[in-house]
Amino acid sequence: MLRYRAGIDIGGTFTDIVLLDPGGGVISKKVMSSAEDYALAIARGLEALFSESGVAPDAIVEIMHGTTVASNAVLERNGARVGLITSRGFRDVLELRDLRMPRLYDLTWEKPPALVERYLRVTVDERVNAAGEVVHPLDPEDARRALRRLRDDGVEALAVCLINSYANPRHERLVAEAAEELAPALPCCTSFDVLPEIKEYERTSTTVVNAYVLPIVGRYLFSLRDRIDARGVDAPVLIMQSNGGLTPAAQAASRPVDIIESGPAAGVVGARAVARRSGVQDVISFDMGGTTAKASLIENGEYTRTRAYSVGGGIITGSRLLSGGGYLLGVPAIDLAEVGAGGGSILWIDSGGSLQAGPKSAGAFPGPACYGLGGEAPTVTDANVVLGYLNPFFLCGGELKIDAGRSRRALESKVAEPLGLEIEHAAWAARQVAIANMIRAIRAVSSERGRDPRSYELFAFGGNGALFAAGMAAELGMTRVIVPPAAGLFSAFGLLYADIEHHYSRTVRRLLRDSDPEEVEALYRELEVLADAQLASAGFDADRRRCERSAMLHYKGQIYELEVRVAAGRIDRGALERLAEDFGREHARTYGHRAGDDEPVELVTVQVLGRGLSEEPRVPDSLSLSARDPERGSRRAYHGRGYGWMDTPVLPRSALAGGVDGPCIVEEYDSTCLVPPGVRAELDPAGNLLLSL
Amino acid sequence: MRASADGRKGRRIIGRLAVIVDPKCPVSPDIDRIDFELFKSALFAAADEMAVTVCRTTYSGVLRDNMDFSTSIADPEGDVVAQGLTLPMHLGSVRTALAALLARYDSDMGEDDVFVLNDPFEGGMHLPDIFMFKPVFVDGERAGFACCTAHQTDIGGRVPGSNAADSTEIYQEGLRIPPTKLQEGGVPNDTLWRMIERNVRVPVQVFGDLRAQLAACAIGEQEIRAQVARYGLDSARAMMREMLDYTERMTRAALRPLPDGEYDFEDWIDDDGVDFGRPVRLFVTVRKSGERIAFDWTGSAPQVRGAINATLSVTRATSFTAIRSILPSDIPNNDGTFRVVEVSAPAGTIANMELPGACAARGLTGFRMLDCAFGALAKMAPDRVCAASDGGNVGVSVGGYRADRTPFIYVDFTCGTWGGRPFSDGLEGSSNILANMAAQSVEVSEHENPVEILGNELVTDACGAGRFRGGAPFYREYRMREEEAVVQVRSDRQTHRPYGLYGGRPGAPGEVVLNPGREARALPSKVTMNCRRGDVVRWVLPGGGGWGDPLERDPQCVLRDVRNELVSPAAAERDYGVIVDTERWQVDEVATERLRAQRRAARGGHRAPFVSRDDEA
Repeated sequence: MLRYRAGIDIGGTFTDIVLLDPGGGVISKKVMSSAEDYALAIARGLEALFSESGVAPDAIVEIMHGTTVASNAVLERNGARVGLITSRGFRDVLELRDLRMPRLYDLTWEKPPALVERYLRVTVDERVNAAGEVVHPLDPEDARRALRRLRDDGVEALAVCLINSYANPRHERLVAEAAEELAPALPCCTSFDVLPEIKEYERTSTTVVNAYVLPIVGRYLFSLRDRIDARGVDAPVLIMQSNGGLTPAAQAASRPVDIIESGPAAGVVGARAVARRSGVQDVISFDMGGTTAKASLIENGEYTRTRAYSVGGGIITGSRLLSGGGYLLGVPAIDLAEVGAGGGSILWIDSGGSLQAGPKSAGAFPGPACYGLGGEAPTVTDANVVLGYLNPFFLCGGELKIDAGRSRRALESKVAEPLGLEIEHAAWAARQVAIANMIRAIRAVSSERGRDPRSYELFAFGGNGALFAAGMAAELGMTRVIVPPAAGLFSAFGLLYADIEHHYSRTVRRLLRDSDPEEVEALYRELEVLADAQLASAGFDADRRRCERSAMLHYKGQIYELEVRVAAGRIDRGALERLAEDFGREHARTYGHRAGDDEPVELVTVQVLGRGLSEEPRVPDSLSLSARDPERGSRRAYHGRGYGWMDTPVLPRSALAGGVDGPCIVEEYDSTCLVPPGVRAELDPAGNLLLSL
Repeated sequence: MRASADGRKGRRIIGRLAVIVDPKCPVSPDIDRIDFELFKSALFAAADEMAVTVCRTTYSGVLRDNMDFSTSIADPEGDVVAQGLTLPMHLGSVRTALAALLARYDSDMGEDDVFVLNDPFEGGMHLPDIFMFKPVFVDGERAGFACCTAHQTDIGGRVPGSNAADSTEIYQEGLRIPPTKLQEGGVPNDTLWRMIERNVRVPVQVFGDLRAQLAACAIGEQEIRAQVARYGLDSARAMMREMLDYTERMTRAALRPLPDGEYDFEDWIDDDGVDFGRPVRLFVTVRKSGERIAFDWTGSAPQVRGAINATLSVTRATSFTAIRSILPSDIPNNDGTFRVVEVSAPAGTIANMELPGACAARGLTGFRMLDCAFGALAKMAPDRVCAASDGGNVGVSVGGYRADRTPFIYVDFTCGTWGGRPFSDGLEGSSNILANMAAQSVEVSEHENPVEILGNELVTDACGAGRFRGGAPFYREYRMREEEAVVQVRSDRQTHRPYGLYGGRPGAPGEVVLNPGREARALPSKVTMNCRRGDVVRWVLPGGGGWGDPLERDPQCVLRDVRNELVSPAAAERDYGVIVDTERWQVDEVATERLRAQRRAARGGHRAPFVSRDDEA
């Protein structure tokens, strides 16, 4: 019997399921998501797949899952009723946040409401100082008083975050012990366990989000297990974390804060793996759907990670300069930048007379005008229909009907007429404006970090990624684009490439030159022991457990740190000196300057990444997709002023094997790829579409 | 790429666009709209990118957390075409500084020159703000400027942090730098660097931050070059001009629907920190006519001895922020706005000081002018303007020397209370609109400085009552850990409370207290003093003013405030006429209705005043 691994990705509209056999055979299924219980759509989708393909439930050996259930709980604010215990004098850390707003000059700004209302935030009389010394001891009776109060108020989960607990967790432990005794059924998250790092707001917010989504994630994972068990699937479920690594479902249930950005991370994991196999180490992944576009940088074959990000802040509309939207999380995540631009983005003209695309989106309903579901406003997708890039009759292999006349009418009356442009010029302009928006996401992860996008390849996927990839690359001066197979389902696919990963970190905050190498070594060892034990418990043998060290460093006085890899081997004085030098070089590379050698470098955080290695490559090099190729043909498409309207061949991907010069359009079940004139397209042995500009 | 159809350009001015195009400022027919949109996005993104660079590389809490800096790109004539999303109080100040620079060096600048200045009497705002400019040359022609202004932790002078409110002349406040070359043709001006090094208390930090500014300017320069390479110098210049025209058009379009008229408002700063107890008057007259608006500060106090005098550029930035905050948010941040927003103030006043006025704490006056300008605008656009905020940030500097004579300076600026709004409660724990500052982390502050922070929490019964109440203020308490330190506090609104509007009540006054719970000495709003180890300094922000009649507040909102201990049950009854059952956490609706009816009857036909500054008699 063939054994299958399953990748399952839940999105806002669709749930995608991909089954992969060891020989590279792929079976896929797209079903509508079920918001009332996401597990239901998965069970239904699997059932449909089993009956269509004849795959037996017990042939599935492993399920890799990317889910938005945790982020949705925050976005929709339907998480648990949490009680928060803080130090005396600091009841409002969660609510005061960092005081900043994500917008300037906006008197209508409303702060995101605190996830724990003030009356459920209770203080205990205690104090630990910055050195970790107990200045004012905590009376356990005081902790019990606080806990009783919250219990009587009917909280469903507890979060504990005391000032300076990163330096000494004793008092948080005391509170947790009292909770265990008074309310053993209540989940209790202490900040030292969730995020043992300096900065009280970041730590409090992270701990609270963990407690807030914990019951809902737990229930979801339980329901998922239950439903797939009932269908005879007994494979273990692994959940994608925001950091790009997988974790067993049980671990995700106890640290759900790690899986908030589970969905978007999966695509980047896939992009890294697929690009690496094609021998490409430096890519920018570009994931464009209906409402948002996301970009992420992969450098030397590795993701870039961020140590803090916000969830639920709405869409980041450009600069990352302004914080204050959403809920801050201090956990490692793949660094993504997101802008509100997608196929559904609405086109409009601002009061200065400039054409704009988004951030308002027509969404899935009523959707673009061409869907004929009542949407009147022209969207980016309508522009693509007018330009002849999208099939004028249907999408998704016929499952979605298109009315090109509606696109034309909407665009004519709302864009072309007011701007005094021919309709094709208006549609072209709309596309260029959308591209200008999305470029901000790419700049945020590249040039804002001192990286030149021209030295990267663009890896495009998502429902609209392939349609815009060449246009984006041209604007950015990038010369190579990769469009993977099943680009529209790629996030589900990406899950299949992921490894098990766990991150551990500890705040140090000491000058490198004053640090005791022994002590630093001991700290790393301590974290490695934790990581190792966790991998062992997930069933990895000793030779398949790998730990990597890194450090967060800055010049003393700076607030932002740069991450530097720490070479393997025991840490001695020389290793610390090399670390300072590596940091200086990284600083110069990122910001164009470094300080003199006499300027002290501070070791802020030590970090260990534990990785469970698979016995064999998790995905074969060549895949065979059950392709639903469209008819070959051609249609008129507009390619800008230089080229005008051209007869443009419409081809299946397989027709590009020998290389084709643009213009052409590659139509597939899950997405459409545009190859503009002057661009050459070919297929690599793994089935990736490569565009050369 | 070029998308417009040449033959049909005339048709651009049709439909609803036609009404917003000013005859004096038509859409330029030579500019491709799509190229323009791309060019504009690129320059704004570059200005933001410059700002991110400063944040990530700076050494000081003032820059990294309080974000007290700004970045921008200017055209070759010195008009700012793109300002990063940074400190509103710097908006409009860059052109003043650039004008001062050009007056001296217009014909004496070349490739890889970098200029700095900080003198408030020649382009600057106050001494800690160092303006840095890098002119960008392409083929020998000036294509624009990359600009970065940053507040330095220290610039010398008599008090650590160079922020004291009680200096009485500019000469006490630190090093004055006229427009000067920091680097010429890529070669650092060693004389200037050494002069700075010798005059500031923490040169390592100041140099680090100057390097951060240099890095930001280098990024701005790269982007200007890239755009010129792409479009050509003539086109790039034309599009820079169009960026200004575009902003002007949008500002005009946004101003037109507002009612014409003359609207004035007055308010008082408690005192100048030198002549204690003598209020300082602020007065503004706003004249709105058609597509133009003018802020005239005639009637404001003569300049004062204390260091709260403002330059005209501060007054401008503040007036601009006020009007900008009630206009649609998509108007680009650049100098195009100043073509239709006129700001004036007589020389020798607090709003336009002359030599030798001291101005280190001019930020305070800026914040208070914003409250004053909002008061006038509230008469023009009652549905858009909030009641008074906390009046700006409380600034605290703790400085001195450790036992080994190494210096320390801890500077903390914190604000966070908004006035009630015509549509919603005032925010609590949100930065003032004039300065989008972040709070510094308590734990990081304690780790890096010899202070312990004992508390930072919202205060009960201090927000101004109203249909939409003012934001609740918070307090902060510091305990000194070094043997000795000079502690300087800059705050306000102890004697002149945040006003309420349209029936809303004023917020509670601010407080500064030495050693609460022990000697509990009340201190004036502006103070410089010596403290010893163990001394505790506590300040409380003023509460936001309320908006609208408190008797019209939804009783459920009052209930929530009571449950959250932002309003006491007694205050709910006294201020809102709401009786809360604190056993079951319900509103006693019958009793509330009765009480509110009594209160209304007792008022008779008396209408609530437009503005309330104190408790009712």
